[in-house]
Amino acid sequence: MGVVEDTEPPLKRAKRLVDEPNGFSGNSSVRPCSVNNSLGDLMARPLTSQGDDQTIGSKGVIKKSEFVRIITRALYSLGYDKTGAMLEEESGISLHNSIIKAFLQQVKDGKWDESVKTLHRIGLSDEKAVKSASFLLLEQKFLELLKFEKILDALGTLRNEMVPLRINTKRVHELASSLISPSSLISHTTSDPGKESVNSRSKILEELQNLLPASVIIPEKRLECLVENSLHIQRDSCVFHNTLDSDLSLYTDHQCGKHQIPSQTVQILASHTDEVWFLQFSHNGKYLASSSKDQTAIIWEINADGKISLKHTLVGHQKPVIAILWSPDDRQVLTCGAEEVIRRWDVDSGDCVQMYEKGGISPISCGWYPDGQGIIAGMTDRSICMWDLDGREIECWKGQRTQKVSDIAMTDDGKWLVSVCKDSVISLFDREATVERLIEEEDMITSFSLSNDNKYLLVNLLNQEIRLWNIEGDPKIVSRYKGHRRSRFIIRSCFGGYKQAFIASGSEDSQVYIWHRSTGKLIIELPGHAGAVNCVSWSPTNLHMLASASDDGTIRIWGLERINQQNQKKQVQGSSSNGVIHRCNGN
Amino acid sequence: MYTDMDPRQFEHSVVDDNDIHSIVMSYLLHNCFNETADSLASCTGVKQPSDDRDNIQRRKQIIHFVMEMKALKAVELTEQLAKDLLEKNKDLHFDLLRLHFVELVCARKCNEAIEFAKTILAPFGTVHKYVEKLEDAMALLAYDDPEKSPLFHLLSSEYRQQVADNLNRTILEHTNQPSYTPMERIIQHVTVVRQYLTEENGKDAFPPFSLKDSLKG
Repeated sequence: MGVVEDTEPPLKRAKRLVDEPNGFSGNSSVRPCSVNNSLGDLMARPLTSQGDDQTIGSKGVIKKSEFVRIITRALYSLGYDKTGAMLEEESGISLHNSIIKAFLQQVKDGKWDESVKTLHRIGLSDEKAVKSASFLLLEQKFLELLKFEKILDALGTLRNEMVPLRINTKRVHELASSLISPSSLISHTTSDPGKESVNSRSKILEELQNLLPASVIIPEKRLECLVENSLHIQRDSCVFHNTLDSDLSLYTDHQCGKHQIPSQTVQILASHTDEVWFLQFSHNGKYLASSSKDQTAIIWEINADGKISLKHTLVGHQKPVIAILWSPDDRQVLTCGAEEVIRRWDVDSGDCVQMYEKGGISPISCGWYPDGQGIIAGMTDRSICMWDLDGREIECWKGQRTQKVSDIAMTDDGKWLVSVCKDSVISLFDREATVERLIEEEDMITSFSLSNDNKYLLVNLLNQEIRLWNIEGDPKIVSRYKGHRRSRFIIRSCFGGYKQAFIASGSEDSQVYIWHRSTGKLIIELPGHAGAVNCVSWSPTNLHMLASASDDGTIRIWGLERINQQNQKKQVQGSSSNGVIHRCNGN
Repeated sequence: MYTDMDPRQFEHSVVDDNDIHSIVMSYLLHNCFNETADSLASCTGVKQPSDDRDNIQRRKQIIHFVMEMKALKAVELTEQLAKDLLEKNKDLHFDLLRLHFVELVCARKCNEAIEFAKTILAPFGTVHKYVEKLEDAMALLAYDDPEKSPLFHLLSSEYRQQVADNLNRTILEHTNQPSYTPMERIIQHVTVVRQYLTEENGKDAFPPFSLKDSLKG
């Protein structure tokens, strides 16, 4: 049997589905729609009564009537009214039943009394929603009466129709006040009142959409919303996603290849003469700073073509330099000599402008205040000291620390002071509320890193595990990363890549390790160094540049595989997606 | 010379009758009980300042107008009595005008009430501190029966009394008379002192002060 002739009015058409060409296979049961749709509408049943159990798609989870409706909605939203109406007719599935259609039209036309009556005919079970919606409609009626200076009528509406609803008392009082100064409520535009009504009426429609259940008024932009959700999920599960340009397409599922991760040595910096212990890119990504056992620190500059050259060698320490840290404005660096002193240097000139020390004790870790106006340091006597830039001591804490504070940092917002206070405990000290939260680990902590948004802490443990903690609220472990080697030395790890979606770390087996942050999956191991890799830093501005510091005295700069770099340029111009895996439709 | 006065032996301190008469007189005059004041004067011989006669009469009238829901009349007379008094006491002026608005609403004269609010009350709305009070008053319009509204206290005689008292004090102040009676002051002092003694010496030594109990004797 074929489809019933088009000459019949849509509501009474019975449709039979036969052999759909696109193969909506699966468990879609075929059943004719109910014939007497007109009666059904008058009874004001919710919309899902037409051919309910017809599904489409291979998994049988998509209800056909819902699917068609959101498409119809999208068509109307896009402005294709004729097509939308045609779809309603051809499919026999109307977007809204006639009561709701009437309701929406009444709202558009500003027929408030009728719309309130129709609202009650819809037959919603949620009384609260009905009241709120009625209030909304009456409020608009009140405002429009005011605008046309029908003050007593407006007052009547307020008193006799709105007050009995017994909701939104505050708003009722506000509206009463507006009787004497209508301008206080209605916008001050002097545009013609007719046009303004249209705008406020479409706002009403929006608000009604929020108040009433979605099955009564199909939300606008529902289809767009579903598609966006899907794209987000694809992007989030894309393990190698490391591109700025989100060329997410609807045609295929998105997945980057490994090619977006830095995996090839593009430069070797060999200026240090002994083990390189620490390095860090500046916040603006224009410089790299490294510190070494050779008692110097070096500031490197990253040129426009990506090549790195030496800018300054900072000489002055008499001991190995264990760390070098950028000031928040990148104009200065702090270096920490191992159990020696802290020095502050100017980046432009390369001169040492200040030294920080305290009689009898020496620093073993240091950090900047987030406003760049002070220095913090963990000292050998297990205390924490704070100085202002000129070297005056601001504070000094001698808490219950049972070990030397091997790592210390202050969050960007100045709120938290993070430090290692016991072997396996990190203290998160709230400077305003002066309360402390503790992160208790299972093994000894050797170093930590804070994420950009101050919400996560990456902790390196003696047992070769790296753990990611969420430090917003009560600290909780989020992920663990394994695979690298660490037994004798301090190995540091860092966040990096697009939205800090990756974790990179050094290792005693001379390799650099990179994991996908949220899944914990090890993505790549990078051999090349001839000694333990002590520290890694990922450029904050160049997603594809990673630097590693090693006992072999060199720094390696990692970038994308050469072949791919050329293709990258092509990709920006054209639409071909390199590294995207094509998938079959529907899989 | 330091006399060791035990506060519990207050019954031994001497009180002058004239003082008591003066206190009562001042109370009566403050509250415009002029006939009672005359009576007291003739019985006890205590003096009352005569040039205040006129002031008392007018004050009495003004206060009655407030209580009788004729706030505009009260405003009119106040302006006659003391020209710039209401100008200098905007808060009070506003309260009185607001009372008039409430009177109109109660009398179901909605149009008039709205007109009055638009022309007279609305200008006050530019000053932040009056906005909330103005909104409270306006809210009364939303109710068919203002007595059943959440703002019903604006209609109460307690509220009118409050405004009337305020007006009374302000007029007295304006004419350089004391705005608080010695009677009130004395009771306030006693309450505070007794409280202090109780706190210092414990509830057993000095039970908390209750005026009601004291009046019973």
